[in-house]
Amino acid sequence: MEIFILIIYSTLVYLLIALSFSVIYFPTKFFHLAHAAIITSGAYFVFYFENKFSIPFPLAVALAITAATLIGILCEVLVYRQMRHQFHESSRMNSPLAYLIASIGLYVVLQNCISLFFGNDTKIINTAEVTVGNQIFGAYITTIQIITVFVSITLFVAVNLFLHYTATGKSIRAVASNSELCNIYGISSNKIILIAFGIGSALAATAGILSAMDTNMTPTFGFNLLLYGVVAMIIGGVGSTRGLIAGSLLVATTQHLAAYYIDTKWMDAVTYIILILFLIWKPLGFSGKRLKKVEV
Amino acid sequence: MEYILHLFILIAFYTLLSQSLNLSAGFTGLISLAHAGFYGIGAYTTAILSTQFGFSFWLSIPLAMLISGAIAFIVSLIALRTVEDYFIICTLGIQVILFSIMNNWIDLTRGPLGIPGISSIKFFGLSLDSKILFLTLSLFFVAIIWFLLRNISKSGFGKTLTAISEDEIYTQSIGKNVYLSKTVSFTLSAMFAAIPGTLYAHYISYIDPTSFTVNESIFILSIVIIGGLGNLTGSFLAAAFLVLLPEALRFVGMPDSIAANMRQIIYGLILVIVMMTGKNGVKELFTFKPKL
Repeated sequence: MEIFILIIYSTLVYLLIALSFSVIYFPTKFFHLAHAAIITSGAYFVFYFENKFSIPFPLAVALAITAATLIGILCEVLVYRQMRHQFHESSRMNSPLAYLIASIGLYVVLQNCISLFFGNDTKIINTAEVTVGNQIFGAYITTIQIITVFVSITLFVAVNLFLHYTATGKSIRAVASNSELCNIYGISSNKIILIAFGIGSALAATAGILSAMDTNMTPTFGFNLLLYGVVAMIIGGVGSTRGLIAGSLLVATTQHLAAYYIDTKWMDAVTYIILILFLIWKPLGFSGKRLKKVEV
Repeated sequence: MEYILHLFILIAFYTLLSQSLNLSAGFTGLISLAHAGFYGIGAYTTAILSTQFGFSFWLSIPLAMLISGAIAFIVSLIALRTVEDYFIICTLGIQVILFSIMNNWIDLTRGPLGIPGISSIKFFGLSLDSKILFLTLSLFFVAIIWFLLRNISKSGFGKTLTAISEDEIYTQSIGKNVYLSKTVSFTLSAMFAAIPGTLYAHYISYIDPTSFTVNESIFILSIVIIGGLGNLTGSFLAAAFLVLLPEALRFVGMPDSIAANMRQIIYGLILVIVMMTGKNGVKELFTFKPKL
């Protein structure tokens, strides 16, 4: 029973991260790996506001999410937007590859800034309540994990409703399907991408704070989490939010089964083995949307 | 003096690593984040052969290259099905798997404990214990690899690789075997990466998995991009710059703990700036090209 609860919990954490990443990936079509630093910075900002200024916890969380979102938006405004403008329609440099490498550079910068300010040691966010395990169906689950489950489900439903039923959400999907045409119809793709970065970064910071409260944090914890999210997104099939559920579920299940039957230390390797198996046998993911990146 | 020699040896290692990555990333356009993994395979092969079977350096170098090449060949069968950014994500996954194996296969690699007691290199009965002799040996390998890569880049095969990096479909249309060329380039690049691995194992005489992480891969890739894709001299200069950078920072009076992070922040920034301006390496940032 224990393992089912764990799988559900991990699925929802990965789902939140995959969602935050794909909100940015859909309209921009490149891997924003600096997203990992946004996840980390959200958690570290809570730590900073709480300990340095002794701000009450809920306010600290709100401030931290705002600050992390700002960093995400700054990445877009200062780097990616400049790149888009500079290499408009030019051949080689406008590829997703250039953005990916730039985002790796950004990640290195941001992650080391965090290391510089907070040190490389493990930190814990002190929560007001004492986390006593709650017993559900004979398995123990902490309060934070329950909160995570609810927050993740709520945000997933909210973002889906937002993408499908509001004008801005529809614009994001429109830019995702054809940004040139959007510009012709008077939807500014720059503005929409900026909004996507804002939403994605806020979701990422939330996910970072929740998972840092469950365990603890180091300046690099966001990178692993992000990669699980990215794997979930690729497996789920790029281009559908519903595919993300299947992707996260598969990643979480495989990881916990590997941990249960083999050893916890092989969890990382197993995750990437599924990714590679999917790239070989089912390169389109669950959703089956055609992608030009993979030779079928 | 000993320390300066140590720095020069490190520059030689990173020159070897970045130039070998330049073969796949620069010439062919296969930007890989698994290079530290192949470097690690070279180091581990040597360490195991040397400590358990008493192989000498000259015997373990070809074996390390073979094993690294064989693994790279298998990897390329999978990874080359993807292109561009998916290729990077795929090689990133392979890097994590290789690291996981080094870190967790306790029976073979002793995991996080690492493998100590790798003997120093014997050369016709002469032990290469002193740093100056070791540096000479490393420079010898740098010279060979540099020469080889330069000739590869100028050969017909090298031209095919450049053509692939510019337009894959066009290259295929003129009758070149794109897939085979990519496989060969990726495999060769991994084989060359095993050489610094072997040297490193014998030099430090102790290896553990933390030398072969994703961060190391990112660092090697940064050297290649900062030096310029397809530019071997650039790789050498960038390697020298990035190895000496923490020393320069320390010279300015920065404490050790900050200097390490500052170095990464600086190379991250250079990486972002190079990509933002769309120039090929730092060299082009400072050269003025009139627009046609």
